[in-house]
Amino acid sequence: MSVGFGNWLDERIGWRKVWDAIFLRKIPKVNWLYTLGSATLFVALLQGITGILLTIYYVPTPDHAYDSVVFITTQVPGGWFIRGVHSWGASAMVLLSVLHMVRVIMYGAYKYPREVTWFTGVGLLLATMGFGFTGYLLPWDQKAYWATIVGTRIAGVAPFIGEPILRIMRGGEDLSAVTLARFFGTHVWVLPTILLLFLGFHMYLVIRLGISAVPGKEE
Amino acid sequence: MEEKEKNQLSRRNFLAIATGAIGAVIGVVMAVPAVAYVIGPALQRRTDENWVRLGSTSKVELGNPTLFKTIVENQTGWIVTEEEVSVYVVTEDGREYIALSNICTHLGCRVRWISDQGQYFCPCHNAAFDELGLVVTGPPPRPLDRYETKVEDDQLYILLGG
Repeated sequence: MSVGFGNWLDERIGWRKVWDAIFLRKIPKVNWLYTLGSATLFVALLQGITGILLTIYYVPTPDHAYDSVVFITTQVPGGWFIRGVHSWGASAMVLLSVLHMVRVIMYGAYKYPREVTWFTGVGLLLATMGFGFTGYLLPWDQKAYWATIVGTRIAGVAPFIGEPILRIMRGGEDLSAVTLARFFGTHVWVLPTILLLFLGFHMYLVIRLGISAVPGKEE
Repeated sequence: MEEKEKNQLSRRNFLAIATGAIGAVIGVVMAVPAVAYVIGPALQRRTDENWVRLGSTSKVELGNPTLFKTIVENQTGWIVTEEEVSVYVVTEDGREYIALSNICTHLGCRVRWISDQGQYFCPCHNAAFDELGLVVTGPPPRPLDRYETKVEDDQLYILLGG
């Protein structure tokens, strides 16, 4: 962006202040472990892009789900790549966010005044788990089907509330077209909305409070 | 002092440029497959022009149109549909074969060969075609559609989707 145009735009929308607040904020001397949160954010962005692309061909019904996934993987140019990035990215999301959490625990970064940042982070981790669980069913192959049978049964063994939870997850007694459709809807509408809300709050707090320094030995 | 400041500036610039460059590489690596992925199926030409085997030429009687039926698979995306194609095959000399669609060119009803009258008859609007598919009476705007034919090892083939 040329300086002239940058100034023109800044006078009108004030982007420089926002830019500086996000990218030029003051941080303590930190190490590479502090990049885990940004890495998670980057993978989340990739998941969003590749996920949107996958919905261009994917159809969430039992008679088309598997065939449309095979079509994406074998027939559409670059489809194997888009699906591969989304599939591996899902594992990377869980791995990176857990590592990020471990760093926050080990450095005590969840303490005052950053408790709410921690709470929203827990919400983000749960949303990520939800993405993984619902996304795993969508290819509608044997692995997906039986993994979801097992996964919903695990929810079903909780005392008293287990049975209703299992029925709500499956949308009935059995794993069916209803299950596939609600898992898809949850995966592409409900969870992204939750993720964006929590992510916005999480990032706002990170910028507002600043990040914690590496704790000293005597602390 | 001035030297040091210069160094700091160049380090900052280096990191900014490196970040931008890596970001650009990742952007291109993602964008190229993404564009191909989105526009890919739109660029595919229909390549369903194929030779379909009808059966042995010995089944075709001289001067008497013979009906062949064959199942053709059409694929759009991941969905395969089957379509039955019915073809009347005519030969005068056992060497040259004419393959006629049995779909009336008027409104798409199926025509039937009536050997007594030596005509194809369409029950919908009483149209009649002669042995080679030319209109004799009735509303059809053009003769029966023809398929290109070929014979290989006494087997008769027609070209579909041409």
